[in-house]
Amino acid sequence: MSLSLAGNAGVVDILHDITLEVAAKDTLGLVGPSGSGKSSLLMLMGGLERATSGEVEALGHDLTTMDEDALARFRRSHMGVVFQSFHLIPTMTALENVATPLELAGQAGAFDRAAAELDAVGLGHRTGHYPAQMSGGEQQRVALARAAAPRPDILLADEPTGNLDQATGEAIMDLLFGLRDRHGATLVLVTHSPRLADRCDRVVRLVDGRLDTDSRRAAEAAE
Amino acid sequence: MSAAAGRGWFGNAGTIARRELRGGLAGFRIFLLCLALGVAAIAAVGSVRVSITDGLAREGRILLGGDAEVEFGYRRADPGERAYLEGLGTVSEVVDFRSMVATGQGAEADRALTQVKAVDGLYPLTGEIELDPPMPIAEALADDGAILHPVLADRLALEPGDAIFLGTKRLTLRALVTREPDAGGASFGLGPRTIVATEALEGSGLIAEGSLFDTDYRIAMPDATDDDLDRLREATRAEFAEAGTRWRDRRNASPAVQRFVERIGSFLVLVGLAGLAVGGVGVSAAVRAYLDRKTEVIATLKTLGAEGRTIFAAYMMQIGVLALAGIAGGLILGTIIPLVAGPLIQSLLPVPVALGVHPLPLLEAAIYGALTALIFTLWPLARTEQVRAASLFRDATGSVRVWPRRRYLVTLAVAVAALIGLSAWLSGIPTLALWSAGGIVAALAALVLAAIGVRALARRLARTRLARGRPALRLALGAVGGPGGDATAVVLSLGLGLTVLAAVGQIDANMRAAIDRDLPAVAPSYFFIDIQPDQLPGFLETVEGDPAVSRVDTAPMLGAVVKSIGGRPAAEFDHWVTRGDRRISFADAPGSGTRIVAGEFWPEGYDGPPQISFAREEAEELGIALGDEVTVNVLGRDITGTVTSFREVDFSSGGIGFVIVFDAAALRGAPHTWLSTVYADPEAEARLLRAVAGDAPNITAIRVRDAIDLVTEALSALAAATSWGAGATLLTGFVVLVGAAAAGERGRIFEAAVLKTIGATRPTILASFALRSALLGAAAGIVAIAGGALAGWGIMRFVMEAPYAFEWVSATAIVLGGAVATLLAGLLFAWRPLATRPARVLRAQE
Repeated sequence: MSLSLAGNAGVVDILHDITLEVAAKDTLGLVGPSGSGKSSLLMLMGGLERATSGEVEALGHDLTTMDEDALARFRRSHMGVVFQSFHLIPTMTALENVATPLELAGQAGAFDRAAAELDAVGLGHRTGHYPAQMSGGEQQRVALARAAAPRPDILLADEPTGNLDQATGEAIMDLLFGLRDRHGATLVLVTHSPRLADRCDRVVRLVDGRLDTDSRRAAEAAE
Repeated sequence: MSAAAGRGWFGNAGTIARRELRGGLAGFRIFLLCLALGVAAIAAVGSVRVSITDGLAREGRILLGGDAEVEFGYRRADPGERAYLEGLGTVSEVVDFRSMVATGQGAEADRALTQVKAVDGLYPLTGEIELDPPMPIAEALADDGAILHPVLADRLALEPGDAIFLGTKRLTLRALVTREPDAGGASFGLGPRTIVATEALEGSGLIAEGSLFDTDYRIAMPDATDDDLDRLREATRAEFAEAGTRWRDRRNASPAVQRFVERIGSFLVLVGLAGLAVGGVGVSAAVRAYLDRKTEVIATLKTLGAEGRTIFAAYMMQIGVLALAGIAGGLILGTIIPLVAGPLIQSLLPVPVALGVHPLPLLEAAIYGALTALIFTLWPLARTEQVRAASLFRDATGSVRVWPRRRYLVTLAVAVAALIGLSAWLSGIPTLALWSAGGIVAALAALVLAAIGVRALARRLARTRLARGRPALRLALGAVGGPGGDATAVVLSLGLGLTVLAAVGQIDANMRAAIDRDLPAVAPSYFFIDIQPDQLPGFLETVEGDPAVSRVDTAPMLGAVVKSIGGRPAAEFDHWVTRGDRRISFADAPGSGTRIVAGEFWPEGYDGPPQISFAREEAEELGIALGDEVTVNVLGRDITGTVTSFREVDFSSGGIGFVIVFDAAALRGAPHTWLSTVYADPEAEARLLRAVAGDAPNITAIRVRDAIDLVTEALSALAAATSWGAGATLLTGFVVLVGAAAAGERGRIFEAAVLKTIGATRPTILASFALRSALLGAAAGIVAIAGGALAGWGIMRFVMEAPYAFEWVSATAIVLGGAVATLLAGLLFAWRPLATRPARVLRAQE
């Protein structure tokens, strides 16, 4: 699959003929230099961006044939996304931010589950706070809770520790992997950090929009 | 010393301002538009007002029909008086009165009320009269000829050549008047014009002693300067001190029109100021948004060593330049609008309009604009001083929320006081101006409180069961109640415009209700005037003999001019009772409906020194106490009476009501006529008119329904003018609204992207956007209705002195209108958030 985007300086080819299959419940680290197309690939996987050519299939569904609303419905049932800049809705409290995807999916007891989810990330005492009233680490924990609350089959994380200090970043990663382990979701993680990539089962390296290397963790490879 | 150091902080501020302005005016379109619209509305209203008053002044000689006019009430000048007037210049005599014009004699003829102008051979002394078919006026009036206003001819199906009757006098209709040069000077009357030669009225029985007519002596003195006119006015006043005359000259040819135009103009300027206040909300929002974007720049400048005052001055200069641009745009627009709309304005007015560029109203509008800009931008500007360099390293988007320094608060207070004081002074209606200013400030405060309340309520509701499981609703409530929302700007901008409109709606509906519903229920069918004393028994026999007549009241009536009250000349009182001619009456005993509220009515058959019973309310307004002496002039003779009682007179009942009633002995001997009100079934009205006029053609019948229609029509015009003013305010409000929606677009694009990411479909997002708009609009509408109802109640209760009832139709329309307007503005900026792919937005924010 390929992706080209029109910009001020003309059409820019972002991804070239990428073919990548991620096994269910796998943890995949996407690494590579800035501008290599890691985040774009993640966006394509989440149906947040549309491929210029080729197919994106998730859980047996072809995302490239779905319209915006079908993609939204698919995400709320099957996907959770975490961003580097958290992307919480500023006009909503932490609890409301976490409850919203559950409500959108029409799930009963959305608020109770959201509260439990916030508890799980250690923010049970800050449910009524707005994003602006929280630190970066806290906001990212809310974002994690929001992504994990609907028990998604797939978790997509775009440099979730990029805006955080190392200690906070470590804590967030622990939470992320903990959530993944608890819910048994497939995790795709975009990161610059070799240490974080090392926590993944598989690491794919992108360079200039092309797949460069694809390696399994040594332990598994040895099996 | 370096060049920069030499320039000082102010110079540095200028440099920073210039460099910042190079960045363009993006984000200031709403700022410019708000200021320009407000200034344009005020400039346009002011220009039209000055155009009309200038037109009146320029054409004063023609409108008046001479350089000066001396009016005698209810009589003509005697030979001595006439000789004096002729000593001043060329004199033309015009007799003016109300009468009935008929198509024939007897009960079968058609009749219509008319305002008759009986003229001499010199009429018109100034200006030209235009007739259809074209002919000299002397030819048209020769041999008992008559000229009618086309409306009157239409009403009676008359054509030139037909016979008409005034009283018992047969005349021939020769032409229709298409342009009457001195028509604007007359008050807007009930009857269209009939013009005849004075000598043709001999034998008509219309101008008898005691009849209600005026005689105007127009004097041509083309060489007289204004100083001469002043001198002659004083001399004439002294000469005719006892005669009960009134002087007017070309400088105030149409005082009634002038007063009307001044009042309407002032009122519309006040409405315009409300518009400017609405614009101010938009101006303030634009400046806040701009400065929020500049927080980082300001912090950087501080890091580099810029002082607070340098920063303040730099941004003050930028906003100042923009404000000047907005004001200039408004002035250009305000100059062009009246010129373009000139023909329309001219066609709506009975007086000439000197359309052109008038500097004074433009200056007034510019000052209002500058003060408004200062008031609404000073607060956010003052806060730039308090941006700390540290904000670069922390949350650069978190704006400072502390009070500005005292010197800015003092400046703000002075600017507000200057704006209110100036509007009170320049409008010429200070009480109303102060009330309006208070109203606007109170409305703004109420709207701010309402916005806070709406946000708190939205936050509460978002957490209740009502919102659970309804993500669109909760998103909307969250957006209204959460931080960083545009709730306050939307409620303020739309709310103030809607409040003005709601007030107009409430007042208009109540006025109409008072006229349409309340008055006719108790009002008589006809006023019959000019009943000569010897005709009274016959008249009463006719009307009382009609089975459809339920009640007949009669009272003697004399024309008088109030000369002095409690020893002070009447001219010192600015009150309708002392202005112009006043109908007075006399009575031997209080009538059956009379209610004496103070003092004692004279005993029946009283024959002592003259006594007066005065209307209670008017006496209070004039400061008259029991025992005060009041002098009136009746047909050139002064009569002084002592006020011995106060009566309650309800003029709104439509029945007979006189402010001044003398004891019968004091005036019985004076020439007088009788006034009668007749209450009858509506279907009997036509028959009654024919019966009365057939017996006595000189009696004038005024159909009360026609008079009410005339008032209703005048009110409609007033309401229409006000609605236009309120419309301008609302337009500004809508611009601010669109501005707020545009400013919020980035936020909504981001929000939509996040919502799509977590699974919201576009219909859900759109529903949420629509809901939040409608919620805010409805909130603004509800506050507007409360404010409008309060203003309506105040105006009805204290100005109109009429009962107030809440009017639902316009109120509902306003709430719905508010919701729809916000919805439209919101949806206008909804498609981009809905259409944009989430990845683009979210990546851009990384």
